[in-house]
Amino acid sequence: MKILLMGHPNVGKSVFFNRLTGANVIESNYSGTTVDYTRGYMSLDGKEVEVVDVPGTFSLDPKDRAEEVAVAMLKEAKDAYVICVIDSSKLERGLYLALQIMEEGYSVIIALNMDDVAEDKNIKIDNQKLEQVLGVPVVSTIAIENIGISKVISRLKDAKPVDVEDITVMRAGMNHCGRCGRT
Amino acid sequence: MKLNPDERWDLIDSIARHVVTYGEYRHTLKDAIGELTVKPMTGLPIAIAVMYCFWSVFGSFAGTLCTDGFFVKLFDGYWLPWLQEVFPGKGGWIYSILIDAGGMTNGEFILSDNCFEAFGVLTSGLFVAIGVVLPAIVIFYLMLTLLEDIGYMPRLAVLIDTVLHKIGLHGYAIVPTILSLGCNVPAVTATRILETRKQRFIMMTLLAIFIPCGAQLGIMEEVIPDLIGYVLLYLVIGYFIFGFILNRIVPGKSPEILIDVPQYQKPMMTNVRRKLWMRVSSFFKVAVPFVLLGCVVVNVLYLVGFIQWLGDLLAPVFVGWFGVPKETAGPLIAAFLRKDLAVAQLSVIEMTQYQMLSAVVLVSIYFPCVATFAMMLKEGWKELIGSVAVLTVVVFLYGGIIHLIGKLLGVA
Amino acid sequence: MEKRLNELNFDEEGTVKEIDESLLRQVAGMGVRIGKNVRMTTKQPMKGPVVVEIDKSFTSLGRSMAEKIVVEVKK
Ligand SMILES: Nc1nc2c(ncn2[C@@H]2O[C@H](COP(=O)(O)OP(=O)(O)OP(=O)(O)O)[C@@H](O)[C@H]2O)c(=O)[nH]1
Ligand SMILES: [Mg+2]
Repeated sequence: MKILLMGHPNVGKSVFFNRLTGANVIESNYSGTTVDYTRGYMSLDGKEVEVVDVPGTFSLDPKDRAEEVAVAMLKEAKDAYVICVIDSSKLERGLYLALQIMEEGYSVIIALNMDDVAEDKNIKIDNQKLEQVLGVPVVSTIAIENIGISKVISRLKDAKPVDVEDITVMRAGMNHCGRCGRT
Repeated sequence: MKLNPDERWDLIDSIARHVVTYGEYRHTLKDAIGELTVKPMTGLPIAIAVMYCFWSVFGSFAGTLCTDGFFVKLFDGYWLPWLQEVFPGKGGWIYSILIDAGGMTNGEFILSDNCFEAFGVLTSGLFVAIGVVLPAIVIFYLMLTLLEDIGYMPRLAVLIDTVLHKIGLHGYAIVPTILSLGCNVPAVTATRILETRKQRFIMMTLLAIFIPCGAQLGIMEEVIPDLIGYVLLYLVIGYFIFGFILNRIVPGKSPEILIDVPQYQKPMMTNVRRKLWMRVSSFFKVAVPFVLLGCVVVNVLYLVGFIQWLGDLLAPVFVGWFGVPKETAGPLIAAFLRKDLAVAQLSVIEMTQYQMLSAVVLVSIYFPCVATFAMMLKEGWKELIGSVAVLTVVVFLYGGIIHLIGKLLGVA
Repeated sequence: MEKRLNELNFDEEGTVKEIDESLLRQVAGMGVRIGKNVRMTTKQPMKGPVVVEIDKSFTSLGRSMAEKIVVEVKK
């Protein structure tokens, strides 16, 4: 089993990685701190599991070398579990990459990191509803304070591939009159 | 099923409408400071103040406090005389390599009285690595880490974007540039954040040629405090002139800046401490062996007469073209292993102020150290060959120009 | 009133109306999308980049990118 940490730049993937594996990858407050991948190991139910800190990427259509590395890492590990780290205060852009990864058929779990920042900015996210709509586990975290990280791990088992078609249907059901909800 | 980008965004919009609520938000002090530091009227003076602070803390902590105030006294006052005394075989070749080659004055063999001149592995080697470079690297990385964790780098990038655009880069190139002032090795990898091959090539070449690393800055601060300003001026000018030229001749695109400007954040001391430790220790794993090895190599080459031979061979170029004494051949060989060592070696060669200035600039722009070289190879051999070609031209051209300027000013 | 993003004055707000096809995808990842509210934070001199606030976060983009984005200015 292999776990990839993916997400936009500067969302806290390296913090996650260091907390999970006890490694010492550089964490800084700017995009593009990690430009190459790092492997580490953690134990899960008595088994050793490989965890990879992947460079941040905006989408699966790379725009620079660091993003190329990220996309290559994903393509290389077809049966990997992906922890998709999202900055809670920037949920929408984060979901773009998460959806792309889900469309590729990976088992995804979403970590809504920087919960403290979102709270400061008075942004509220209904985790349960998000989980229901997407069909993948969603966990709020504050990685620098080690909050929620173990919950993410404990919910890994619930991550499974989902078909985005189901999400589209689900969304239609939520809107009172289907697609007219747009206007 | 796969969606196209428009469908994906549509889906996200409708999901967001159901799960996210954006509450009332009042701008905080953090935001206010964030804006002040990125607006040109206030941001530029602040940026200059920050850089000035960086530099003066670097100089006074590393140079004045640690090196002069402590390590010079320790090494020259106790370590060197003690080793000179207890180590057997004075005058022999092992003694010269490890402790002190000494010198002949009026036909008499005299030992050195300081750790720059002795140039033994256990004397100068250790002194340069621990007494000069260690404090410089520690203080440099401490300040860099603070700037990084606070979130200042992207703001600096926005402020400097216009200037860097002229040389085919954009503001975010400030990240590899500043990392490079610590050590060129991680900076080479950091060029990956630039979008096109053209930008990465320009950045990698410029940093390999014109950006002195923390170790070199530390030793310059120590041995040529009066000249370091001029050395840096020549390097900065070269960075822009050759960047401008490269931008014209290297094919490819130079996209504009498009970055996220993160919120300021209070740095966490645990993270600062950990990062500092990691960087300093990984720097030293590379630096100390190379400094010591560099001492051995240079000493052996001196002993077998290779450096004198090379100096004579290259004399026309050195003296005629660059305007520096032929003895600089030795430091130039050392420079391939470690630039800090080379500068230390230069400092004890007899020459005029302007010759010293030219020689130090040459040591900086001539060949990156082996570790950087290896890293560049990892990023692509074509790029490496290109960079080396540019470097060769730059060394001859710029070295000659510096000599010429000295002549015109009447100081060379 | 319609303006190009780079023409917004300091602190002026607007709604993104049109983004040139060539950078549509690229800027979407930074949160710049049609229908979003933007506020001009700074414009750097000499055709330098602009910094705008969208969804409570800040993004910096080059001047010629900003020229390709049209906004409906809020009164
Ligand atoms: N307030 C807050 N800050 C966080 C949290 N998690 C991470 N950070 C900070 O966010 C910044 C980015 O963290 P990194 O782990 O370096 O980000 P990354 O995702 O690895 O970024 P790249 O390597 O650039 O892709 C650091 O300054 C962290 O201290 C969080 O939960 N809350
Ligand atoms: Mg990282």
